[in-house]
Amino acid sequence: MTRVLVVGAGIAGTAAALAASAAGASVTLLDGGPGASVLAGGALDLLPWEDATGSQDDAALADPAVAGVLRELAELVHVTPTPAVLVTQAGILRPARAAAVGLLDLAPLSAGLVLVPRAEHPGWDAAACARAWNDTALARARGLEFAAIDATLTRLTDERFLAHADLAARYDEPAQFSWLADRIKQAVARYAGSRVVAVVAPPWLGVEHARARATELSHAVGVPCGEPLLGPGGPAGLRFERARDRALGRREVVVVAARAKEVARDGDAWAVTLEGGDALQADRVVLSTGGLVGGGLTYAPSASVLAGELPPRARPSFASTVEAPVAIGTGRRPIGIPGSLFGESPESLAWPFAPFAPLLERAGVLASSSGHVDAGLYAAGDVVADRPRTWLDALAQGARAGATAARAT
Amino acid sequence: MREHQGPAPEQAFDVAVIGGGVNGTGVARDLSLRGLKVILFERNDLAFGASGNSSGMIHGGVRYLTSNPRVTEQSCRDSGYIQQIAPHLLFRIPFLFPVKSGLKGRIAIELIDAFFRAYDQFQPLKRGEPHTRLSPSELAVLEPGLTGSLVGGITFDEWGVDGARLCVLNAVDAKERGATIHVHTAVEAVERSEDDDGRGRPGQNVGSYVVRARDLLTDRAVLARARVVVNATGAWGPITAALGNLPAARVRVRPGKGIHVAFDRRLSNYGIVCEAIDGRQIFVMPWQNMTVIGTTDDDYFGDLNDVTATSEEVRYLVQGVARVFPAIREARAIGTWAGVRPTLYEFGRNEDALSREHLVVDHAHDGAPGIYSMIGGKLASYRIFAQEMSDRIAQDLAPSSVCTTHEKPLPGGDRVPDALALSEQSGVTPVAARRLVYRHGSRSARILARLAKSPRERAIVCACEPVLEAEVRHALASEMARSVEDVARRTRLGLGACGGMRCAARCGQIVAEELGLPPSHGAKMARAFLVRHARSRIVAMGPEQARQEALAFAAMRATLGTREDEP
Ligand SMILES: Cc1cc2nc3c(=O)[nH]c(=O)nc-3n(C[C@H](O)[C@H](O)[C@H](O)COP(=O)(O)OP(=O)(O)OC[C@H]3O[C@@H](n4cnc5c(N)ncnc54)[C@H](O)[C@@H]3O)c2cc1C
Ligand SMILES: Cc1cc2nc3c(=O)[nH]c(=O)nc-3n(C[C@H](O)[C@H](O)[C@H](O)COP(=O)(O)OP(=O)(O)OC[C@H]3O[C@@H](n4cnc5c(N)ncnc54)[C@H](O)[C@@H]3O)c2cc1C
Repeated sequence: MTRVLVVGAGIAGTAAALAASAAGASVTLLDGGPGASVLAGGALDLLPWEDATGSQDDAALADPAVAGVLRELAELVHVTPTPAVLVTQAGILRPARAAAVGLLDLAPLSAGLVLVPRAEHPGWDAAACARAWNDTALARARGLEFAAIDATLTRLTDERFLAHADLAARYDEPAQFSWLADRIKQAVARYAGSRVVAVVAPPWLGVEHARARATELSHAVGVPCGEPLLGPGGPAGLRFERARDRALGRREVVVVAARAKEVARDGDAWAVTLEGGDALQADRVVLSTGGLVGGGLTYAPSASVLAGELPPRARPSFASTVEAPVAIGTGRRPIGIPGSLFGESPESLAWPFAPFAPLLERAGVLASSSGHVDAGLYAAGDVVADRPRTWLDALAQGARAGATAARAT
Repeated sequence: MREHQGPAPEQAFDVAVIGGGVNGTGVARDLSLRGLKVILFERNDLAFGASGNSSGMIHGGVRYLTSNPRVTEQSCRDSGYIQQIAPHLLFRIPFLFPVKSGLKGRIAIELIDAFFRAYDQFQPLKRGEPHTRLSPSELAVLEPGLTGSLVGGITFDEWGVDGARLCVLNAVDAKERGATIHVHTAVEAVERSEDDDGRGRPGQNVGSYVVRARDLLTDRAVLARARVVVNATGAWGPITAALGNLPAARVRVRPGKGIHVAFDRRLSNYGIVCEAIDGRQIFVMPWQNMTVIGTTDDDYFGDLNDVTATSEEVRYLVQGVARVFPAIREARAIGTWAGVRPTLYEFGRNEDALSREHLVVDHAHDGAPGIYSMIGGKLASYRIFAQEMSDRIAQDLAPSSVCTTHEKPLPGGDRVPDALALSEQSGVTPVAARRLVYRHGSRSARILARLAKSPRERAIVCACEPVLEAEVRHALASEMARSVEDVARRTRLGLGACGGMRCAARCGQIVAEELGLPPSHGAKMARAFLVRHARSRIVAMGPEQARQEALAFAAMRATLGTREDEP
């Protein structure tokens, strides 16, 4: 049996582990703690939604390994034929290729009223959200009108101090949740005469069983109910972790909570040294350590960029947290010129000010489009250079890399 | 928008002030207190220029100690006045001046010691502590992070201030005393009035002018008639003079760009004087809840409305500070700011040393009686500079009036309430209450009173600072803020480590709501704020902040979008 070691347990690593296992490998997954997949809010794209003009190219999803992984993660994500439309708490409507469980998808709705119950929680201003969503081209185009409605959705004062994710976890309790569902139902019932097509609920629809909770609520209220997309700090990350752990458990993937320190060739195989000092052996390694957010790439300004007199040597301005025989670069070229006095200047790194795509968005491990880095070594997800940095793309790359790693001889 | 509905009527004023920096707002307040009818125009936002981008120190004129001690005395006394009228806004910054060992150092420390001994006699005027001389081991106890071989050091006392708030408080007070204040309104021309009614009698230095301005947010024209016009536009001074057809060379200033880098926490309880690689004095100091290093001084001829730090400048400062305080290399830089000093050119003979710092130019000599330019100046001397300007104008327009700006407290400065007691009464966290009291003094109570009417406003919009929703609304309703950026300038919302990731969008919603703008406009302001500030942070970026930047960008792209969703 091929031994596949996957480094990094974000969506790319999870997909790689599931696909490799499905292809018959014996799989170990190193979980180094939360990364981008846990911080993202549940909007799942192939291309960044702002760049996705018209229909997205679904070819990547048709790959059998990818489709297989999506089936195994069905409790988390359901990719419908048409893209989703989400409301964000920042006040806009945006398309997404798919929505993670819990979020309200406006795409299937016909024109009508979308109710937003108020709640006494500092992180929930129903009126402001409704006003903002109404003031968008997408809402107008779809004939959707948002309205904040009175409701009493908190009982205990401590609820006002809890983060959304913690409140969501509290509503995993069925008795608790039926209270909430009742309250929403009562609030919505007052609008029986109007053409109510959906309800945007506060982001508290459970963590363990979000799919069941959202369904239960929608049935109770009689129209689709779901949450808006939040910034970091919502329940989406916890939902991802639960769904991931269950899927990996079903596949009997060995999960090791540790970070890799060194990945090195060891004859025909690989030796992966962990931060504690232990070492693992594998035939194939998939690097899915994420980009800057996941901590898989670190921006390491050469000494001259931030301080010091003259640098002893120039260092590339990105380093991988894993000391592996891989090159960090963009556009197929390694970055950081050894011997130059100054590394990349910070100005060229980040945020889209310049006409060119900033390095921070593009830098990564140089890999072929299928994720092949070197014999027996693959990379997937945000760690790879020049990829779109989206959730479904990371999943698709991970699934392909995992399946290839398991099969290749 | 708020200030103007319908076409702007032409109104008559005694004085039109151009520029909402500390000098413009200071003069507007002084003249309003004297009962004159004042209108002030600010192209961007109050404190947008040097006043909101300075080192934030109220010095006591220590530079003139040897050449002209009278100036030092005057500066110290004025610093004392500023403390008296805005006690909540000033905070003590004890400085350490470490001196390297070696022969040069052994002599230097004696000189520095003697110098500060002379300064000590003025310290009581500004409630400063006398200096002390420290041995190397005493220095090491006070600040273990100092390195290098030192002969010892000197301590001296300075006061910190939030320059942006100082401008805002002056403007708010002027407004409450009858002044009309237009922010985001650029003066485009100053013309002699056709129907000059000759109100100026012989011997009076007044004219009749029409000031044409444009509200840059609504594109609406604003017209005002005034007998006196004050150009208080700092580094923009020469450009502004040209708008009034005055010779720009008469208000020549050397535009000296200076930058600062902010770090995420107080790394030391002391300011430390350091030396840059070219021998210039630079510093690292605790400033409000962060650490600041500064500053540079380079000629600047770029766009004054878009001044930003470069990574070269950041490197220069970090390298210099690291020579005595190496911890700065590991510290997390969370932002930079840059401003342009309106430094006087040395021209003509000066009556006293202080006029090397600031100068009133009387354009009567250019055939424009009643037009003045205020050039140069310091935050520390804004009050006395404003007084000098106002005394001059009052000779003609309000001869019996006297200056009261040294005794009448600025808004909130009458009393500094106990933050802990406020926290207990209102239920806001002690940290939030403490920050609120710093910014608003006794007016904190007004802001907290909002909570009784609408408890929602208790919500903390920006957790880094922290800033309550009530304070954001107050800045919009009572402090003339008109955008997310303006709110940030008044409250420091979004300027912490997370770079506005968690608060900009929410703040945009509140801005739109308070000002009656479409919500999409609020989202647009939030985007503009996020991008502008990311640009200022990135030049100082280290590993930790790089992670934060990637996260902030991803969050913005996911929930707000980086582009407008509508054409
Ligand atoms: C705030 C935010 C919003 C987003 N919004 C969207 C969106 O709207 N739509 C969309 O499609 N995408 C979005 N994304 C992007 C999407 O989440 C990422 O592209 C995707 O999750 C990347 O997955 P990944 O597995 O490659 O990386 P990660 O999820 O970062 O996983 C990498 C993992 O590797 C671990 N690791 C790192 N180094 C080591 C090591 N040495 N040893 C062991 N483990 C290690 C890390 O701890 C981490 O858990 C968003 C991201 C963020 C942060
Ligand atoms: C880096 C740096 C550090 C400093 N440190 C200190 C310090 O620690 N202590 C101290 O006392 N002083 C310090 N100073 C000096 C002090 O900040 C300035 O001297 C003072 O703020 C000048 O104020 P001002 O009102 O003249 O100019 P500004 O504050 O620059 O105000 C001019 C205003 O005019 C506006 N304007 C321009 N054109 C127009 C127009 N056409 N119509 C309407 N408005 C217009 C601009 O938008 C601007 O807001 C520092 C300055 C700098 C740059």
